[in-house]
Amino acid sequence: MAIFPLPANYAPPASTSKLTPFVVQPKGKLITAGPAYFAHIRLLHEHDGDFKKLDAATALEREKAAANGNGNGEEDDLGVGDESEDEALLSLDPKEWKKQDHYRVLGLSHLRWTANAAQIKKAHRKKVLRHHPDKKASDPTVAALGLNLNTNDDAFFKCIQKAHEVLTNPERRRQFDSVDPSFLEEVDDVPSASDFKTNPPPFLPTFAPIFERESRFSRKQPVPKLAVPREGDASSKDPNDIEDHDFPTLKAHVEAFYDFWYNFDSWRSFEWLDKEVNEGSDSRDDKRYTEKKNKSERARRKKDDIARVRGIVDLCLSVDPRIKYIKLKEKEAREAKKAATNKKGGAPAAPAGKSKKEEEEEKAKKEEEEKAAKAEAKKAKAAAANAAKKARRAARAEDGGAA
Amino acid sequence: MAPKPAPNGNAAQTPVQAAQSALPAVVGINFGNAYASIAVYTKEGLAECIANENGERQIACAIAFHGEEIYIGNQAMPQLVKNGQNTITGFRNLLGKKFSEIDQSKAAASAPIIQHPTEADIPAYKVDILQPAPTPLPTSTTNTPAASHAATPRSEPMPSTRILTPQEATTMFLSSLLQSATDFLGKPILGAVITAPPFFTETQKDALKKAAEDAGVRVLQLLDEANAVLTTTTSPQWPGGAEDRTQLIVDVGASSLSLSVIALRSGLGYILGSRTITDAANIGGDALSSLLVKYFAKEFAKKTKTALSQPPSSKEDVRATTKLLLALEYTKRTLSASPAPASLSVESLHSGLDYTATIARMRFDLLASPVYTSISSEIKSLLESIAMDPHSIDEIAYVGGTACLPGLDSHLLTSVGFSEDVRTAFSNSTMGSGAIGDPTGVLSTGCALQAALLLDFMEASPELVQTFEQTNEVKTTVRTIGMLFPTSSAEDSNGLGGIYISVIHKHTPLPARRLFEVEVALSGGEGDKATKFGFEVWEVEEEIKVDKVAPPPSDEPPASDDEEDEPEEVKTKITTKRAFLGTLFGETKGTPVKDKTKKGTYAAAVQIEFVLGSDGVLLVEARDSKGETVGELRVES
Repeated sequence: MAIFPLPANYAPPASTSKLTPFVVQPKGKLITAGPAYFAHIRLLHEHDGDFKKLDAATALEREKAAANGNGNGEEDDLGVGDESEDEALLSLDPKEWKKQDHYRVLGLSHLRWTANAAQIKKAHRKKVLRHHPDKKASDPTVAALGLNLNTNDDAFFKCIQKAHEVLTNPERRRQFDSVDPSFLEEVDDVPSASDFKTNPPPFLPTFAPIFERESRFSRKQPVPKLAVPREGDASSKDPNDIEDHDFPTLKAHVEAFYDFWYNFDSWRSFEWLDKEVNEGSDSRDDKRYTEKKNKSERARRKKDDIARVRGIVDLCLSVDPRIKYIKLKEKEAREAKKAATNKKGGAPAAPAGKSKKEEEEEKAKKEEEEKAAKAEAKKAKAAAANAAKKARRAARAEDGGAA
Repeated sequence: MAPKPAPNGNAAQTPVQAAQSALPAVVGINFGNAYASIAVYTKEGLAECIANENGERQIACAIAFHGEEIYIGNQAMPQLVKNGQNTITGFRNLLGKKFSEIDQSKAAASAPIIQHPTEADIPAYKVDILQPAPTPLPTSTTNTPAASHAATPRSEPMPSTRILTPQEATTMFLSSLLQSATDFLGKPILGAVITAPPFFTETQKDALKKAAEDAGVRVLQLLDEANAVLTTTTSPQWPGGAEDRTQLIVDVGASSLSLSVIALRSGLGYILGSRTITDAANIGGDALSSLLVKYFAKEFAKKTKTALSQPPSSKEDVRATTKLLLALEYTKRTLSASPAPASLSVESLHSGLDYTATIARMRFDLLASPVYTSISSEIKSLLESIAMDPHSIDEIAYVGGTACLPGLDSHLLTSVGFSEDVRTAFSNSTMGSGAIGDPTGVLSTGCALQAALLLDFMEASPELVQTFEQTNEVKTTVRTIGMLFPTSSAEDSNGLGGIYISVIHKHTPLPARRLFEVEVALSGGEGDKATKFGFEVWEVEEEIKVDKVAPPPSDEPPASDDEEDEPEEVKTKITTKRAFLGTLFGETKGTPVKDKTKKGTYAAAVQIEFVLGSDGVLLVEARDSKGETVGELRVES
């Protein structure tokens, strides 16, 4: 139906009348049920029959409901399932499942190892809904493209199932997480010692993400952070500002940090990279040989990994400005003490602020601290030497292997 | 663009959406005298009539005691045959009644109503039960001969009697319904809304409420049947639920008939007239059954030469009649569900003789026609009493198992004279078990919807809960108010001088608001200089014009003999202008119309709001797409 414009010669009827008076029907009664009735009595009792007030109140309620969340009746999707799928992903070969990125396949690459069981389940359901072979056959867009019409194309679906199988089994998931491809990518960009000699990058922003990344493998959780935690609003202060901290807290934290990382207990393992026993071979010897090789390979990789982490910690320790600061402070304290004893010896009458006992205590404490620091440094040195030795040995072994 | 009514002030603010996310744990119970049904919110977020654990959507209101067992629901019905003395039926209508008020004249196969042995003037049922025997005493360990390894035989249960008041029976029955609902939902129920028939007195309602509270549920409201129907029929689940229409509710119970004519105005229901008939001849499902029983008894006598006297004279006759009645339930349901002839088969109906018969729809409708006719005459007299033409009814809502019969629907449509496009559950094809329009589930669904609404309402406006059931008198409009877009006389097709749109129908309770979105063509200049639009606001009368046409001789239906020859009436709805209220002139900027035939014209989408306040002032406002007012009209009453 079209609405026409007013005729050019339109003139309204001359006389207007009033509304017919409203009546109460003799048998009439309003029904006291239904959503509209509740709105009606709210309008009458709470908003004096003014529709504008009712509208305002309803808008307010809706805002509140929206703020509370879950007001829209949608199920919480746990933040999964909206990752894009590119051509490369969809053309994955299920036979090569060991090489695929299972998190990417399930659309969980933003969560990776942090994804919990519920999220994995949800993501799997969503993917299955989209990629089930039954669905594909009837998918109009696929049909329109003329692809996969009557082919039994369930390759990606198989990949999804494999990913689900791996990620829902805690042992296999641990193995996969150990060699998570995205982790392997990141692992390479660790600065070397030479970087720090020539043009040192900022300390905290360089190392904090590295330790953050490594801490996932720790059996002991939580893992101490590189940066010293601050009280109150952390963001307003510069994390690089060391002097800002209370000295004992800073020292305790830094020491605890290095202590933790030198005794790092990692669950990382390398079963995932095991070579398969030759297919079709029933030979027990073959099997044993491969198993033995795998075992030694695993052990080698694990050793390398430990050395890698140790190397990072060593490097970090060697360039840590806080260690330098602590050393400096301690030296100052020592010198101050020395000066004080000298003074005491020279001028015994000097008014001593502290009693002898207190001084002695202080001395003992300092000595202890120094000892600890020395031990730490020694340990670090030994570790570095150890790592270097290992590296040399590994290099030699490789050389030998190549030869 | 066709003007499309936007959701308006009253119905738009439904809190149902919010209720859907966390499905409210509420139950709606339609508690009839013969059958009950329960509805809950299912996983889809819709209120639905559900089946109990025995797969029954219609649960017979019966309790049978057999030895140590207690049967509740449809399982209790077969007990009527052999164990009628210990089976309780029809207890709802006795709720809250005194013994002296109860009419005992009707013979029934179920347990008789007696005076309560200890309390004065209280009705009760006396049933024989077997009390489980007390567990045997633990054997002593001292100095007894070597114990036998066989288990100690359990002593026999003791015969005993139990006295039950109708109230206790109701509590028992309702708690079994609640158990079914709890099992379905898997969580405890927060509240229930239960139907109460309109003829219930306050004492009876209190008794029902108390019985339900004893069953362990919070009763949110006792809902009149018409109210429960309204809640269902205005819900989004119902086809065309949001439209304004005049609705006739036909509730055919087992022994009663309730009729209501309701003006549905954007979800608000206004009762124009209602009537409840109980205990009249030829009303309801029981009357229908007894007609059928008579027919089949006669057929049985003819076939087997064994008399099955009606009304039953001997004990065996009573039993045979009960068997026949039980079998007929299935026959009726089969007839409602499919157009094929339905069968009836009873093993050992009388004197050890089996009986099998089939009945076609045509035969059935013929047998049932006295019931159909009395229902249609009641409808006619109700419509007459409120001076309403059957043609003004837009929708018929059927309630109750008997209303599932397609024969009743077609009989009513022809004999009362509804218009051809009247909507029913049959024409909407929402019949069938579990469907929203199924007459057996309408009430319980409505109760569940209302329960969810009430829970929300109690949370949002607790101070209004006390008052919401008390309604003051409400003023309503007498004539329909509409807008008329005048056109030049050439395009005038309906005799009104333009395009007419009804806005506020008659019988709309005050205050009311309606919103329309209309695309108007602009005038008053060339090209984009055209900025003017306008429309008239009229009060109109919608009438039914009756033209009598002599029927062609061949058109006479041969089957019905109670219809007289009369000229056929052709009814048409006509709209006539009664009072001119004013013209709204507005100015707004438009956009060029894309249609090639109307090149050079400009049009604009405007939202037109009609607000009819409680003070009786009509405000018409036109707004552009940005929400700014572009035209206004105020009409005083």
